[in-house]
Parts: sequence; C-alpha cells; structure tokens
Amino acid sequence: MSVTPSRVPVTVLTGFLGSGKTTLLNRILSEKHGKRIAVIENEFGEIGVDSELVIGAEEELFETNNGCICCTVRGDLIRILGQLMKRRDRFDYILIETTGMADPGPVAQTFFLDDDLKNQFALDAIVTMVDAKHFEQHVDELNEPAEQVAFADVVLLNKVDLVEPAALERIERRIRGINGTAKIVRTQNAAVPIEHVLNVGAFDLQRALTVDGSFLEPEYPFEWGGAYQLAAGDYLLKTAGEHDHHAHDHHDHDHDHEHEHDHDHEGHEHDDLSLVVLPLSAATPAELAAAVEPAVRAFAEPAVVIECHGALEQIPAHYAIDISHHGADFKFKVAKAGAYALFCEHDPAEFGLALAGQKPAAERKFASHHHEDDIISIGISDPRPLDPAKLNQWMDYLLKTRGQDIFRMKGVLNVKGEDRRQVFHGVHMMFDSQAERRWGAGPRENRLLFIGRGLDRAELEAGFESAVAR
Amino acid sequence: MAAKKSLSFALEPRAVAAFDDYVADFAWSADGASLAVAGGEGKVALARVTAGALALEVLGEHLLGTLALAWQPRGALFATAGQDGSVALWDGADGREVRRWKPAPTPTQALCFAPGGEMLASAAGKTVTLWSAAGEKIHAFAPASASAVALAFDRPGADLGVALNGELAVHRVEKTRYETRRYKWPAACLTVNFSGNGRFLASGMADGSLHFWNRSTGKDSQMRGYDGKLELVGWSDNSRYLASSAGNEVVLWDFGGKGPEGTKPIVLSGHTDRIASFAWQPKGEHIVSGGRDWRLTLWRPGKATQPIDVQMLDSEISVARWSPDGKRLAVGERKGLVTMFELVAR
Repeated sequence: MSVTPSRVPVTVLTGFLGSGKTTLLNRILSEKHGKRIAVIENEFGEIGVDSELVIGAEEELFETNNGCICCTVRGDLIRILGQLMKRRDRFDYILIETTGMADPGPVAQTFFLDDDLKNQFALDAIVTMVDAKHFEQHVDELNEPAEQVAFADVVLLNKVDLVEPAALERIERRIRGINGTAKIVRTQNAAVPIEHVLNVGAFDLQRALTVDGSFLEPEYPFEWGGAYQLAAGDYLLKTAGEHDHHAHDHHDHDHDHEHEHDHDHEGHEHDDLSLVVLPLSAATPAELAAAVEPAVRAFAEPAVVIECHGALEQIPAHYAIDISHHGADFKFKVAKAGAYALFCEHDPAEFGLALAGQKPAAERKFASHHHEDDIISIGISDPRPLDPAKLNQWMDYLLKTRGQDIFRMKGVLNVKGEDRRQVFHGVHMMFDSQAERRWGAGPRENRLLFIGRGLDRAELEAGFESAVAR
Repeated sequence: MAAKKSLSFALEPRAVAAFDDYVADFAWSADGASLAVAGGEGKVALARVTAGALALEVLGEHLLGTLALAWQPRGALFATAGQDGSVALWDGADGREVRRWKPAPTPTQALCFAPGGEMLASAAGKTVTLWSAAGEKIHAFAPASASAVALAFDRPGADLGVALNGELAVHRVEKTRYETRRYKWPAACLTVNFSGNGRFLASGMADGSLHFWNRSTGKDSQMRGYDGKLELVGWSDNSRYLASSAGNEVVLWDFGGKGPEGTKPIVLSGHTDRIASFAWQPKGEHIVSGGRDWRLTLWRPGKATQPIDVQMLDSEISVARWSPDGKRLAVGERKGLVTMFELVAR
C-alpha cells in the first residue's frame, strides 16, 4: 500500500586541497543538465553559485561499533540527509563534497549504516579529484591522497595542462598501482562531462560488475625483461648519474621522487634493485618469453646482495644491486659469449639503468606486483564454484582481521547451487550483497577485487581457496 | 479500512488543513487552542484549533528548512530554528515574529523551553545556550565535546540534558549553578529523555541501542537489537513505559516492578513500514504511532498489544503530537496535510 519513492543517488566527491573540487562543483551547479542537485559542502559559502540546495556540513564522526574505525560514519551527514528528505521534491541528486584531508570511508559507510538510509539513498560513486601538478609530491608526503584514490570509482586527473605528457603517464601508472579499476579521466580546469561524475552506477549491484580485464592478468615480480647478445668480457652496469637525466623518459620533471628516498615515509625499499640474469639460447622475443617462467622462479630465490662497484659474476643468478647512490655502477662479467636475459624488478628506465654500450635485442614490459604505495589492488579471477558457508566464513574472517585495511571490495561470485550471480560490494567492513542476473550459457567465473593497504595476494588467494566447494 | 473492535477509545478526525510543505513538527500551545507547524522546506505556520476546525496561516519561513520547534509552557510564545542559521520567536497570540537572531555560525538543531517557560535552550553545533523568553542571552555553556543533537529539561526544570556523540551531558540550571554531570557511553546519543518521575535518563543511540541510567545510583543499562539508529524514544506520562522505535514496531520497556532488566519488551506490531513518529498521551495511557505506511495507530499497552484503532491517512505520516490535555491529536503528513483528531470513548 505504501509507495516507496525511488532512492536518491549520491555522489561523493573527494580530492586533496586545491585539486579543483570547488571549480567542478561550481561548473556542475551552473551548467544546464536538467538535474536538480543538492550539494552538501564541507564549508558553507565556498561555492560561488547561489543555490537553495547548497548546505554546509561540519565533519563529525560517529563510531558505531566501540571505536572501530571501519564502522565510523558521519553524524552530520545523517542529520543533513534526514533534513533533505523533507524537501525531497526539490532535488533529484545529492553531491557530497568532502574536505581535502577527509577520509572518504566514513562518508561512504554512512550509506550502509542501516536499512532506513539504504532504502532512501543509493550511493552512486566515489569520485576523487587529483591535482596532476602536485599529486606525486602529496602522495609521497601524506597518507590521504593515496587513500582517496583507493576509494575512488572515478579519478579525475585535473590540471593535465600543467604537466608534461611523460609525467602524466607516470602519475596514471601510480594511480593505477593503487587502484586497479577506477576509471581515470584527464581534465583541465575541472571541465569534465557530467556523466563521469553523476549516475556512474559504481555501487549498483544490478549493473554487472566490470573489472578491467588487464587488471586480472597475472602479475610478475619484475617490470622489465631484455635479451642481449653479448661477447665474453666485462661490462659495466650503471644507473644514471646525479645530473645525468635520462633523456628517454621523464626528462624534466622537477621533483624526481624515484631518485630520492630521504622523505620516504612509507618505508618502501627502493635502494636495492632486484635483478635476475639467465642464459638464453638466442636473443629473440620468443626466447625471452620462454625465459619468463624461469625468471619468476629465480626471483623467488634469495638474492645475492651486490654493493656499489661490486661484480655480478654468476649466471644464472638473482642479485639485489645497491643503487642508493646516483650513478651507481657494477661489473657484469660474461665468461662465455652468448645470449643472456636480464629481468629487472623496476623498469630500468626509471633509474637510467643500462648495460653500457649495449642495447637489448628484444625487450618486454611486465605488469609488476611492485608498487610505490602501500595501498594496492588485488584481483582474483577463478571459475571454480564457491561453497556458500565457507565463503561466509572467509568473508567474516577477512573483515574481522583486515577490515580496516580494505578500503573497497567488490565482486561477482559463482556460488555452488545458485544459478544467479552473487554480487557484492563494500567499504571497509560494511557491505551489501545480493543475488543478481542468472548466469547465461557462457562460463561462470568468480571475479573479486580488493583495494587496500598492505594487502597480501597469497593471503587473499589462500582465503579464496578455502571457500572453493569441494 | 474498518477499525478493529475498539476496547473503549478511538480517534475521530475533526478537521483538516492544507499546509504547502512537508509537516516536520508541531507544537501545541498550553491551552490547546493553537498549534504551531514547522515545514521541512522552511515554512512556519500557526493554526487556530476549535472543536470542528483548523484555521491555518503561514507566518514566515526559514530558508532551507526548519530544524526545531518549541512552544513556551504557560506562555504565548513559540520558537523555531532553521537551516538558515536563525532562531525566531513568534507571538502565538497574533502570529507576529517577535525576534530573530543567529545564535551561532552553524544552524541551531534543537530548541527546548524550560517547564516554567522563562528560559529557552538552544543547541547549534557544539554551542548550547540559554536565552530568556525575550531572546536575551542568559548563559552560554563551554563548547560541548561534539554537536548537540537533542535537548530536554527534566520535569522540575532543574536540569538540562544534552545528547552528544559519546555522552549525555546534564547541566544543572537551577539557581544558575551550571554544574555538569556526564553520562558517558561510546556511541552517538541521538535523544535525551528524562522520565517524568525523575528517576531515569534514557537515550537512543546511533548504533541501534537504547541506553538508560538510574539517576540516583548512576547505574547504566543497555538494550540492543534495534534495526538501526534509534531516533524515537519517549516515556509514558506516568514513567511506567519507555517506548522506542527504529523500524516498523514500537518497542516498550516496562519500568514497573523491578524494572526492565532481564525482561523481554512489549512489542507493538501493526505497521508495515517505518514508524516516523510516536507520542504518549499526556495525562493518559495511550500511545499513538504514525508511519510511512500512511497508518495512524492507537495503542493502549497496559491493556493489549493489538491496536485499538487504525486510521489510514492520505500519505506518509511525518509527525503526531497530542494536545497538552491529551484529548486532541495533530497529525502531519509528508504531503502537507494537517489533520486534527479527537480521542473519543465508544
């Protein structure tokens, strides 16, 4: 008998200070797109456009479960949303702007708090604005920028006109390293088509989950491999010198984070570069490809640490060369002429690392599990049906033990005995799950995505394995 | 819909008025002759109530919505607060706006008159302030630990309770002593409810629990199992029952005898959608609930757990408030209708 009005879609807009959020909001409010948007902004009066639907909010966190951070919600939002629903006929959409330093988690979690909120509002997407000019600096110095990227369904890479194309590529790679599935949209002056911000449908369980295919491809412990034809003798393996900017890639960026580690708060170890050397039967792309599996195995072996000016004498071998100094060099001894493969943890271009006087006859880049940031994305793709009870056990355990570290997760599951897709998405420990479309004639496959801090692929895979139906 | 065979009482509609706004709240004048109406979009109206009619007049507004409404006990004034940040005092006799001011940079969320009517408390963000009935500042409390979301005076008017994230703060206001006692609990308190007999202090929590403290011993107790944030809490006039709702049911805890601890609550089931408002009858034992299912339901919990009357209205019910004598009931709807019912014996 009661008529339940349709749920109001909500976009959460995050982004660091100066990334262009206010410019974007002003654009959205002044453009003619036929939507009436209620904006909840973090500070009253920041937006220039006069609107009856702009409401100021004062960030206030409510812990709903005895201090557990992943159950924290925004109390001010709950109140404002309740008020807004009394003016329901005045707007079609809600856009929430968060402060530059805000953790988007509590904002998103607010919409999972209870059935009342779930019945009235539909979280549509988390959109994160990134200032291309300053992102690398901010992400190295602070936690928030990487977290905001981790939560995002859409990353608006703004101010692209202020950054060189090579640096943009590097920034996108870094964003991709943190968040493997967010849609990245390059913008200038926050000019972005509104469909990238509103009605994205990222949390819509009815829209089939689309996890970027390439993201689910295998990852390697190395980013680069090259095949060389070498005569017997001593070679010099050398990184670029202090002022010797490598001309082939990012030549004139003014803050070369890859080279300096003094300000590295995240505890990454970039100083040792992991390197595997293998013999090949020929320096060809095919032979290089054939060496990938042996290289993966070699990377799993302990590495021989080589100090600066030291010598790499064994082949095959796994080395960790100390490249903490600019212009670090190493002797590379080849006892017998032939074809050799070098597999490198990082793309050698990042360090200007090269075998002096030699060019690889074949080379290839690999998707690496190495990331500069401790927040990463892990995808699991596996066709085997899952046992529903075991799946619940795994999820319970995972959320209890790693809920704080997992910012976002989503997936489509092939559950044994269920002819429909089980779809879920979550923010920290709060998540929604339901049976959706039937599996068609095509193959059934589980596709899961986790984005979080310090996630361990082996741990997640073992958990998944424990849920597979026997 | 045919009402169930009533035990003794029923609600009969007597008058209807249209209000071009979401009916967010009502406040009755002490004599029951006037009804102030606050709109979700911001309109403020006054209705003259007679036995068979409601004459409603819009007096003014708060841009972006009203947030709070209170009528001065024993007096002619009522106060409103809105999303525009202002608090307004209105003369309920002639409908005039007497005074309007901005107590704080953030909007005022809650208003409450002291039982004697001489003092008005307001809460805006972390700022809780006492005003005279003329709107002059009497006292500003030190900034609270969080945003104050609800205010209530105890029945004698000696204490002012403030609902905060993590605690209820109770300020002694009698003789301007302003000492503060804190009832802490690590969750967001959404309501503050003194029992009429002064013995208990209760609060509905954002984490879906109900908490109450024995005010003389300080002992605290907690009831869990609600579906979500608990925003509706209220004591019966005689302090026997504490009613609560976070869904389709009214849950009653019986404070008779040894109290509710270790007991199961009385559950009043009859709504098919979320209850938006309930109200205990002053000077009586009835409780009325109105929901998103358009139903207005009358209960008499001491006698039966079935509704004794059900009325189907024209849209979602947003608020229900009894007149101070407990004989009339104002019911507001999302679509703006205001209906005045009378409780009649059958």
